[in-house]
Amino acid sequence: MFVQTWLLPAALLVTATIVAFPLSRYLAWIMNGKYRSLPVLGWFEKSLDSGPQDWKQYTGSLLIFNTVLFIFGYLVLALQPVMPLNPDGKGMLFPSTIFNSVISFMTNTNLQHYAGDVHLSNFSQIFFCIANMFISASVGFCALVAIIRAFRGDSSLGNYFVDMWRVLVYMFVPAALLFGFIFVWQGSPMTLKSSYQVTTLEPTAMGTTDKGEVKRQTIVVGPVAALESIKMLGTNGGGFFGMNSAHPFENPTGLSNFFNTLAMMVFPFALVFMYGRMLGRMRHSYVIFAVMLTLMAGTVIWSVCYDTLRPNPGLTAHPVARTYIIPNAKAPGGKQAVRLPAVAGLPLDQHLGNLEGKELRFGTSAGATFDALTTDVTCGAVNAEEDSLNPLAALSPMTGMWLNCIFGGKGVGMINMLLYVIIGIFIAGQMVGRTPEYLGRKIGAREVKLAVIALLVHPLLILMPTGLFSATSWGLKAVSNPGAHGFSQMLYQFSSASANNGSAFDGLGVTFGFVNNPNPSPTAIPWDIATGLVMLFSRYLPIIAPIAMAAFLGAKKASPAGLGTLRDDTATFGFLVLGTILIVGALLFLPVAVLGPIAEHLGPIPFGG
Amino acid sequence: MLRALAKSVLLLIFSVVICCILYPLGLWVIGQAAFPFQANGSILKGPDGNVVGSRLIAQPFTKDEYFQPRPSSPSYDASASASSSLASSNYALRDRVARALGPIVKYKSGTKAGQPVAPDVEAWFQKDTFHGNPYIVAQWADLHNSLAQAWVNADPKNGAYVDDWAKVHPAIVAQWIKDNPATPKPKAADLAIVFFKEFSNANPGRFPSGVTRTGADGKPQTVIEPVKEGADIQSIFFEMWRQDHPDADLQDVPGDLVTASASGLDPHITLQNAEFQLDRVAAKWATDLKRDPTAVRTEIEQIIRKDASAPWEGLIGEKFVNVLEVNLELCKRYGMPP
Repeated sequence: MFVQTWLLPAALLVTATIVAFPLSRYLAWIMNGKYRSLPVLGWFEKSLDSGPQDWKQYTGSLLIFNTVLFIFGYLVLALQPVMPLNPDGKGMLFPSTIFNSVISFMTNTNLQHYAGDVHLSNFSQIFFCIANMFISASVGFCALVAIIRAFRGDSSLGNYFVDMWRVLVYMFVPAALLFGFIFVWQGSPMTLKSSYQVTTLEPTAMGTTDKGEVKRQTIVVGPVAALESIKMLGTNGGGFFGMNSAHPFENPTGLSNFFNTLAMMVFPFALVFMYGRMLGRMRHSYVIFAVMLTLMAGTVIWSVCYDTLRPNPGLTAHPVARTYIIPNAKAPGGKQAVRLPAVAGLPLDQHLGNLEGKELRFGTSAGATFDALTTDVTCGAVNAEEDSLNPLAALSPMTGMWLNCIFGGKGVGMINMLLYVIIGIFIAGQMVGRTPEYLGRKIGAREVKLAVIALLVHPLLILMPTGLFSATSWGLKAVSNPGAHGFSQMLYQFSSASANNGSAFDGLGVTFGFVNNPNPSPTAIPWDIATGLVMLFSRYLPIIAPIAMAAFLGAKKASPAGLGTLRDDTATFGFLVLGTILIVGALLFLPVAVLGPIAEHLGPIPFGG
Repeated sequence: MLRALAKSVLLLIFSVVICCILYPLGLWVIGQAAFPFQANGSILKGPDGNVVGSRLIAQPFTKDEYFQPRPSSPSYDASASASSSLASSNYALRDRVARALGPIVKYKSGTKAGQPVAPDVEAWFQKDTFHGNPYIVAQWADLHNSLAQAWVNADPKNGAYVDDWAKVHPAIVAQWIKDNPATPKPKAADLAIVFFKEFSNANPGRFPSGVTRTGADGKPQTVIEPVKEGADIQSIFFEMWRQDHPDADLQDVPGDLVTASASGLDPHITLQNAEFQLDRVAAKWATDLKRDPTAVRTEIEQIIRKDASAPWEGLIGEKFVNVLEVNLELCKRYGMPP
């Protein structure tokens, strides 16, 4: 049982770390432009090159390209009914859902207010989802590379369009082909057909239609493997099917689950080393890597301990009767006592942990492990239902999104980590009374301001809308579970949007569906718009501000390290950064954690009725 | 600015050609050439050569001759995968699990060891006393308002039954409207709690449930009647019976038998679960085939053990069985069940 529980997470962390070494060498080689491309590819690259760019031109190009991408995505989805590869005649999504989805995929979030198997044609899956998955992952990657070049003090930040081309052609496409091959081999469909109609082995078990005919099972297929591999490699996370990597076609076996999980880890891991290689400071990147790995191991161990190693508390015995004192204006003294009798357990063997919302083929701890990792690397795919996690276990994916720097998504996680590094150095500098320095350059007021702006966008965009929706019917009518868990559902949705993660507590009523849907979720439109805006701001502000910060910092003169310099390649520095992350994170998010998952854990279970 | 726009469009065109045409096409060719079975959805054929489903997608089985898959939130609809999304703190989860357990749970020790608890649940229900107070159904509706309302909405017949009841009891409806002035025209579900309260007083030890009767036209039809036994009593009231009998020693049921998977389409059950179902499956086949039950049981046990596999050969998880494969094997060996 010990091995069955811990081997998978350990194997994942070790393998991803090992792969990160050679991969980071390759990435640095490509991004430094040391390769010699084939003549054909070279022609494409030349035609994209618009010359060396400074930081304003680079971010300007990034924003213009993303605007073009937004228009393209909106057109593809809006025109779904008239596009090819749509034999089932899927209609048009509601405009606010299209708005949300386009932003969601453009920002590498992949929060889905629709279900792929229900609402998208194969054309949309390929030309909307797959296109955005490749492109949006490359955008964050390029931003990190620009920051590195700025830190290096390069005369230009490179060219945005050439960088995009390099990332796409030399990294993501080959890697996606390799993983796609593994997924087809393991059982993911790769066909342009959309669905099968089958009469099941026991035909009447599917039920009968109104006319008394036996219902047939509709099995949706499609180019699943092609989407699956870039979905994970690009830490996108938007599933072909509604239930994402839990669906047997997206993730058919225990082996495919290993590669599914590994795929979302390899690039974020390698980027940390790439940072060190490109700056010529490998030891510094080892320290950062160690901090990230420590945090990641912590979130995984936490969720496995509370989900795989504990039964579902809703089904077990609670042998002690409890009394809760709750405020009640009508009761004498303003307080009312609610007495809950002892609860007898259901006769259930739960030695495999909480199995509600878990698939069996992945392995004992696979669901809990995946759920923690998917928010650490801001992927957002899920292979288990997060809504049904044990209350305390759900704290782990939330923490991953709140800190948003435990490896993080393509480039963006590393950028967030750099913000914590700058803040940490600044705090340490204040404590010893010296001017803080990073990479030999003095950190001034302007850099710290930009870092704080970029860092504060995230909590503000989570806490303010969560507060707004908790206070209005937009939120209260959308939640599907009672009590503290309902609050967690809203909190999770905005955390996921702001962290550009994309996983969700799926019970939340956010789906409008097709434009002519007679029965949409009544609160779908405010959720579409609010999370859409959150994703937009939380994507681009934390990219632009750090690039500016890096450019200002890089423009300063580097001075050699002296006796009083805070060295950035020591264990002391690691603890400084770790402490900064934990303290800042706890100050920002502990209150909502207590209102959500912790209250649910401490409160009566089962709750309501 | 314009230059950047032109380059952006160019980059988008290049990306779409590579990522949306060349890349999927390449993978499609590889998939269709090297792994045609997987690439087309792992479709299986039945004994008569017709397609019966996908090896990877769960499908429902209700007959006792078949092993049954895990519960499915989308009712095994493979075009709309979904989980239950029920939080562990949500009473609806406990209720769903308890209803699944009621008809199958057995005593573990004592004089009744190995016997099902369902008859005792029915006998307890007919006595109509919970925690020492009379009227179980009224208490049930009072404790779990949402379940009472869900019963009304679960079937149009249930709603019609409450509507008919409301016509006969105008005084109770009038009182309800007086207590809830915001809802001057209550629907059937709104009246669920007062309905069950009155029903319980009028029919102690009974619950409204669907019963098949021969109609006036000679065809069988389902009508709602007060019943004192049957599937509804065994499932709905197992949880309350359990709270009244916390010390009863019961056999544990495998967890995956009553918990829904994330996709709702999990094609597997644990080997433990298959062995739990083995007695029922083997006994039914033995009756159908008029053969020695022990021999049939041994054969079927071999089938499930042969099909069983574990992720990474058991290093990271326990053994599981593919339900459709096993049931297909049963059909191939014994023929289709009657």
